[in-house]
Amino acid sequence: MNVIECRGLTKVYGKTKALNHLSFTIEENKITGLIGRNGSGKTTLLKTIAGYLRETSGEIKVFSEKSFNNLMVSANVIYINDQMNFPTALTLREVLNVSAMFYEKWDHELANRLFDYFSFQSTHYYNDLSKGMKSTFNMIVGLCARCALTMFDEPTTGMDAAVRKDFYRALLKDYIAYPRTILLSSHHLEEIEDLLEDILLIKEGREHLHMPIGELKEWAIGIQGLSENVEEWTRNKEVIYSKDIGVNRTYAVVKNNLSEADHQKAKAADLALTQVTSSDVCVYLTSKTKGGIDDVFIKD
Amino acid sequence: MILNMDGSKPIYLQIGEWLEREILNGNFGSDQKIYSQYQLAELFTINPATAAKGLTLLAEENILYKKRGLGMFVSPNAKEIIINKRKNQTLKKLVIEIVMESERLDVSKEELIQMINDVKTGEAGE
Amino acid sequence: MSLSKTSLLDNVKKQFTFKLKAYKQVFISLIFIQLLAVFFSFNGVGMMGSSSESIEIDIQFYSADMVIIFTIIWAFITAILITTTAYKKDDFTFVTNQLSSNLSNMLFLLTGSIVGGITAMLSTSLMKIIMNIFGGLGYISASPSLSEIVIGYSSTILYILLFSGLGYLFGTLVQISKAFAVLIPGVFIGAGILGAGSLGFEWVKGMYQFIFTEPSVLVFVLKVLVIVAMLFTSSIALSNRMEVRE
Repeated sequence: MNVIECRGLTKVYGKTKALNHLSFTIEENKITGLIGRNGSGKTTLLKTIAGYLRETSGEIKVFSEKSFNNLMVSANVIYINDQMNFPTALTLREVLNVSAMFYEKWDHELANRLFDYFSFQSTHYYNDLSKGMKSTFNMIVGLCARCALTMFDEPTTGMDAAVRKDFYRALLKDYIAYPRTILLSSHHLEEIEDLLEDILLIKEGREHLHMPIGELKEWAIGIQGLSENVEEWTRNKEVIYSKDIGVNRTYAVVKNNLSEADHQKAKAADLALTQVTSSDVCVYLTSKTKGGIDDVFIKD
Repeated sequence: MILNMDGSKPIYLQIGEWLEREILNGNFGSDQKIYSQYQLAELFTINPATAAKGLTLLAEENILYKKRGLGMFVSPNAKEIIINKRKNQTLKKLVIEIVMESERLDVSKEELIQMINDVKTGEAGE
Repeated sequence: MSLSKTSLLDNVKKQFTFKLKAYKQVFISLIFIQLLAVFFSFNGVGMMGSSSESIEIDIQFYSADMVIIFTIIWAFITAILITTTAYKKDDFTFVTNQLSSNLSNMLFLLTGSIVGGITAMLSTSLMKIIMNIFGGLGYISASPSLSEIVIGYSSTILYILLFSGLGYLFGTLVQISKAFAVLIPGVFIGAGILGAGSLGFEWVKGMYQFIFTEPSVLVFVLKVLVIVAMLFTSSIALSNRMEVRE
């Protein structure tokens, strides 16, 4: 069953299109990584899925129902971001109690154990917590709610390395015990990629790539050698990144659909083929120019 | 035990190789039940689907076999298959690289063999 | 995949329970405001004096009117407050939709009005006690009949509820467009300065007379309830398509 279905989803704020004709489906019980640069529309998408925002055009269905202002969707979706609003008058313990009341599948025992493990104090207030502690508390609520669709938007903001590790581990353990559909957005792809099954890459409000994370590792290939040889070899190929290195040498990244002939030619021209990591692929695909920041410093 | 997480090699391949090592080391005998995808996922903090892909890979190579509803088990000739595979693929590739590198460095064939012999005797001496 | 089921009624109940806990500062502010009003009331609300050659009489009236007026203002502001984004976002942190959030807000305002009304009326007793102790010999208190007490309590509660309904609609309009925050007070102040008759503001005066000069208690109760229902219904209708934004 599809948990999320988007068809031509568009969201306009004033004159800007935050989401631009986005179409994809997310299947049940998969962990999907939502990757995109700042301002690419990730948060708008997640808020539309959660039913906070109304689509301008197109269609979005969550659990086969329209998501906007839908009580059933609200009961089965939890959206955690780094600007959570918890009632200021409630202590941390009271927030957990209220969450327990609202979420049918809430695991109070797990919540209490995590609460103690991360050394929270019952009588403290959310607004007095540090940024990292807030994120940690959000994570507890997000995990323990056990919602059929759980969405974490930059969940590790401000967390130190140890807590981030704990978080990923806790997320995975709870997912194995209670499978559910999880959407995870993060700037740190290299940190989350092992947890993911699929990846959804967004650029300027559009879906750019949606595939199993394993395939992303083999999606692109890097090539380097003498500039003229690289240029010759990459002719008629889609170059997604290129950079001059050393004297008269170039490193280029192309889509990895090479023929046997391409391999032969590369060998003949003394070009070295190298793997490209997933997070590098994402950086190259989401950057506006082929040279990245280096292009800014080129003066003609 | 920790995988090489430098990102250059797909995780499922690394899982496959790790399982092969476990079998070669004798930690899993023939017809013994091997880790489930969920155990592997927990062990390495990876997605269970990725772990399953690693297991499927070994099943396709007949290193593991599946018992419906019970999980994956080590084939009786698993060790043999792994050793053959490594000889024919991994070792061969390494040898090719060694030969190429020695050519680049103008190391003669005799010299290279001598180097290998030195390493071998060094090992025996320890 | 098993999905959690929730009904509107069930969710409104939960939201209401949550709000009684989360909005406790609203009740704390009520206590402060009423105590403040009681304090002000000891200046007396009216004075009458007469004197002849040999006798001089000064009469000072004390009443809890001030407390009721303060409570009405409190209800109005509270109603506006809970329509603001911060409070809406609190609701949406947990399970809700706009309808459920509005309905539970209204239940909360009803509760607030009842509590506010009762405590405002009880403050009369507080004043009597204080006057008995410090008021000296010349203190005479009114002793209303039971029916007067019932009418007093219920009409106080209804006045407070009416103003919380007005505040809620005003707050909802402001959430739709910030322009209303200037426009609506402008209209009322303008009407006050220029006189209700000019600029076609006759209806404001008409409304005032329609509600506040009703001689029959039952009709008054009915009128207020209908108006409150209309205020809340239009607030729901206006906010039901609204988004939850930063």
